[in-house]
Amino acid sequence: MSEKLVTVKINDEEIKAKEGELLIKLLKKEHMEVPYFCYHDALGADGNCRMCMVEIEGKKRPQIACDTPVKEGMVVKTNSDMIKKVRKNILELELINHPIDCPVCDQAGECRLQDYYMDYGVYEGRIDKAKKVHLQKHLDIGNNVILDQERCVLCQRCVRFTDNITKTHELGVIGRGNHSRISTMPGKKLNNPYAMNIVELCPVGALTNKDFRFKQRVWFLKSTPAICHGCAKGCNIYIDHNKEKYKDDTIYRIRARVNHDINGYFICDEGRMSYKELGINRQYNALLNSKTIDFGDVSKEFEKIIKETKGDILILADANLYLEELEAIKEFAKTLNAAVCSPLKIYIDESFGDDWLKSKNRAANAKGIQKLNIPQTYEDIEKLELVINFNHPAFKNFLTPKSISFQTHKEFEADLILPIAAFSETEGTLINEDNITQFSQRAIHSKQKIPNIIEWIEMLKDKK
Amino acid sequence: MREIKIVSKNFSVKDSHLLKTALKNGAYESIKEAFSKTPDEIIDIITQSKLRGKGGGGAYTGKKWCLMPKNPEKSFLVVNCDESEPGTFKDRYIISKDPHLLIEGIIISSYAIRAHDVYIYIRGEYYQFQKILQNAINEAYEKGIIGEKVMGHPYRIDITIHRGAGAYICGEKSALLESLEGKRGHPRLKPHSPQPEYLFGYPTVVNNVETIATVPYIIKNSAEGYLRYGTQNSPGTFLFALSGHINNPGVYECEYGVSMMEYIESFGGGIKGGKKLKAVIPGGASTPVLTADEVKKARLDYDSLKKFGSSLGTGGMIVMDEDTSMVKALKNLLDFYARESCGQCTPCREGTGWVRDIVASILNKEATMQDIETLLDVSDTMNGKTICVFAPAVSGVINAFVNKFEDEFKSFLKSVK
Amino acid sequence: MSFSFTKENIKKIEDLKKRYPNNNALVLPLLWMAQEQEGYIPLEAMEEIADISKLPPMHIYKTATFYEMFHLQKTSRYNIKVCKTLSCSLCGKDEIASYIKEKIKDNNLFAYSEVECLGSCHSAPVMQINDTLYENLTTQKIDKIIEDLK
Repeated sequence: MSEKLVTVKINDEEIKAKEGELLIKLLKKEHMEVPYFCYHDALGADGNCRMCMVEIEGKKRPQIACDTPVKEGMVVKTNSDMIKKVRKNILELELINHPIDCPVCDQAGECRLQDYYMDYGVYEGRIDKAKKVHLQKHLDIGNNVILDQERCVLCQRCVRFTDNITKTHELGVIGRGNHSRISTMPGKKLNNPYAMNIVELCPVGALTNKDFRFKQRVWFLKSTPAICHGCAKGCNIYIDHNKEKYKDDTIYRIRARVNHDINGYFICDEGRMSYKELGINRQYNALLNSKTIDFGDVSKEFEKIIKETKGDILILADANLYLEELEAIKEFAKTLNAAVCSPLKIYIDESFGDDWLKSKNRAANAKGIQKLNIPQTYEDIEKLELVINFNHPAFKNFLTPKSISFQTHKEFEADLILPIAAFSETEGTLINEDNITQFSQRAIHSKQKIPNIIEWIEMLKDKK
Repeated sequence: MREIKIVSKNFSVKDSHLLKTALKNGAYESIKEAFSKTPDEIIDIITQSKLRGKGGGGAYTGKKWCLMPKNPEKSFLVVNCDESEPGTFKDRYIISKDPHLLIEGIIISSYAIRAHDVYIYIRGEYYQFQKILQNAINEAYEKGIIGEKVMGHPYRIDITIHRGAGAYICGEKSALLESLEGKRGHPRLKPHSPQPEYLFGYPTVVNNVETIATVPYIIKNSAEGYLRYGTQNSPGTFLFALSGHINNPGVYECEYGVSMMEYIESFGGGIKGGKKLKAVIPGGASTPVLTADEVKKARLDYDSLKKFGSSLGTGGMIVMDEDTSMVKALKNLLDFYARESCGQCTPCREGTGWVRDIVASILNKEATMQDIETLLDVSDTMNGKTICVFAPAVSGVINAFVNKFEDEFKSFLKSVK
Repeated sequence: MSFSFTKENIKKIEDLKKRYPNNNALVLPLLWMAQEQEGYIPLEAMEEIADISKLPPMHIYKTATFYEMFHLQKTSRYNIKVCKTLSCSLCGKDEIASYIKEKIKDNNLFAYSEVECLGSCHSAPVMQINDTLYENLTTQKIDKIIEDLK
């Protein structure tokens, strides 16, 4: 694609574009989108769904926008009567063998077939003479993906993903004609760390998330933009959650959020499933010597422990905490005359890292620790009398006479254990491994009302 | 009416497929002449002869060859012997009765387009004919006719037979190349400007067997020698064929432009059982059917058939007598198309199944006028909106049958009380 | 069960590799070779073919399912394929087909299927048994052919 600018006319409007740019991309940019199934910005065009056809002056037949490079003087119509009829007819053809599973299909509400039918279809059915082709439904093809061959529109996005992006080649179209269907090799399943992305890529309900299956209707979900805390890559995500009546605000799934500088259109499966641990084995209560105490009494007990400590105090700060939390901890440490440290080696997992979205550094804000000059080691461990842990996994390596642990999960034993909000229950800034600063919004407002670190520090800071 | 035997001259000779017989009957006589010219001169002669492709498309061969680069790093000639169009069975005669003529044509064509490697893609069902062709190729290698030095000339040509495995769509040239590359036979998106085909990224020409087999005659007898026969826009001869309700079904080579009815009477011996003619599919199943009246007026050339809304296709005429049910015939053809659709793009994959089901319901007397309207509407959606010309061909077939035999189709409709 | 090509076939494969610019082209020839060797194409053969042609096994599998002549399951010794397309259908295919089906009923040696145009329309009705074409079929001819095969 050259840098030369050309002028084209789309629906009688003059638009400037780069010569050779794909027409479908230009239409998206100018908010004149045409419907499509098989095109995807990350996968390119395949030209098989035929939905993106537009009228181009001088061409006898309608052309597919995904395979048309823009030229000087091109005149395009995306909404002529002829195109509307073509779209309606192609949609009708897609729907012949497509089962009317909407009432039981998870894709409902975010399904391109449904959306396009409402926009371009809405016709009297006339397919009574067509004999439906029956294929396999609800096949577990591994990695939390369920395949329904009947719902598939054969856009081949999933095949192109496993062939060109992950290069693991698990999927393909088998058979011929209208018995074509998506399948894995017999006896084999999906087997790559990014497999669940095909659920998002699938424009219809052919590939669905087994973990999310039948759990929520998507129109009830609120999507909060956040940053994945699985590793230092900092992939952008949406946390989809809902608070049903009489229930707590619950996360139902994580989806990828587009960021061309970091993760593109995808996230890894581990990151996608990382929300599950936010609901398991959480620390909800304040415990003093293993007995539950009211939050109102915490301040008093904390003060007591501090007063009784004559020796050194060390504060450990988890490298997954937000910058704002880390700054508050640093300030807090000053008031207690304590040192702060965050050992980072413990977060390194060579087996996890790869050359795409998975960083071997499992700390989401390791760069934040470094930016705030928080040291990674502490020399005089023998002189330590009290360690105050803010969710750091290396806490177990510090055996001191007294201990206080602020933790999200029931992970450690300590004299005083205090629950803190997880990353999805609060908000803040992170710096990823490429030094990109990002903000993660708060998704969950739990009725557990667990204070976040900043709220705790506010409560405790004037005690010495 | 006489047969003009340009390509079929050795068909009735005993053992014509063996090299020694072929040599006695003029095989490879044009090679010396060909190598005395430059490749561009050969392309020129073929262009001047207006030789048109004989695989169903009728594109000018010279134009195709002109698209090839003059100094390629590597280029290929692919000979399309996937002959699967219903009603067509001519290429099998060339490869089994005069394979050395094909090899001779291959030599000249490869030289012209600067290719050294040739693949003959042959349909899987033609195994016994493939064996005869392979034998001829082996003989040619043994005698130094092909190989490192073609008949002593410093030019290498290697020919490899590549066996298909039962897919009509692999006769479409881009699907054929996909199949050669070891993939499913999915036709490719068409380029935006005239370009050669590509095999493994190298420029390639795909030509039909009969087209290549015609080249030696043109070189031996010059472009004018070929233009002598046929008409202005359809020069030369074609291996037309007859099947169906005909007394003498078979392949009879004849010049373009002769009257279709005369061809049917004189070569075909008229309709079997002395019955009346009802319809003829002129050029293999993918060409729109002609009524008996149209047949009487039609001539066997591209322009005449275009006037009747049809096409010359592969020249395989399927003759149907007065007792033939047009509805049954259409259903038979739609079964074929639904089975052979590659399934890549929506209108064809879903459309071919649907139109077949509608015509089945018409045949079962379960359909209404509404269904016929739906049939024609779906046919319209399949026309001009797909990746290749398979679906438009189906559309043409449906429209011709339903419109030209409207009364017959309507007589099958469920009577509305 | 594991699969390997015979020594003879391995030699043929080496020769074939020299004829193509890319090993990917070997997919169809090797699928045929495996089918001729084993009578059908087991998954293990596809994995071996994947190795030789430098493609993932899924590519071999999805290509094999596209082409009608490849058998992915064991079949009968004689596969009778009767042409059902227009010219044969106009020339008596229906009667011949019923006759054949009746004749081979309950005989496991034979499998019956109908295929599309075999390219022999002038000698209709026709059938193919494995790789051999039988033209101008009559009931007597069919009797003889089937008897000879038994």
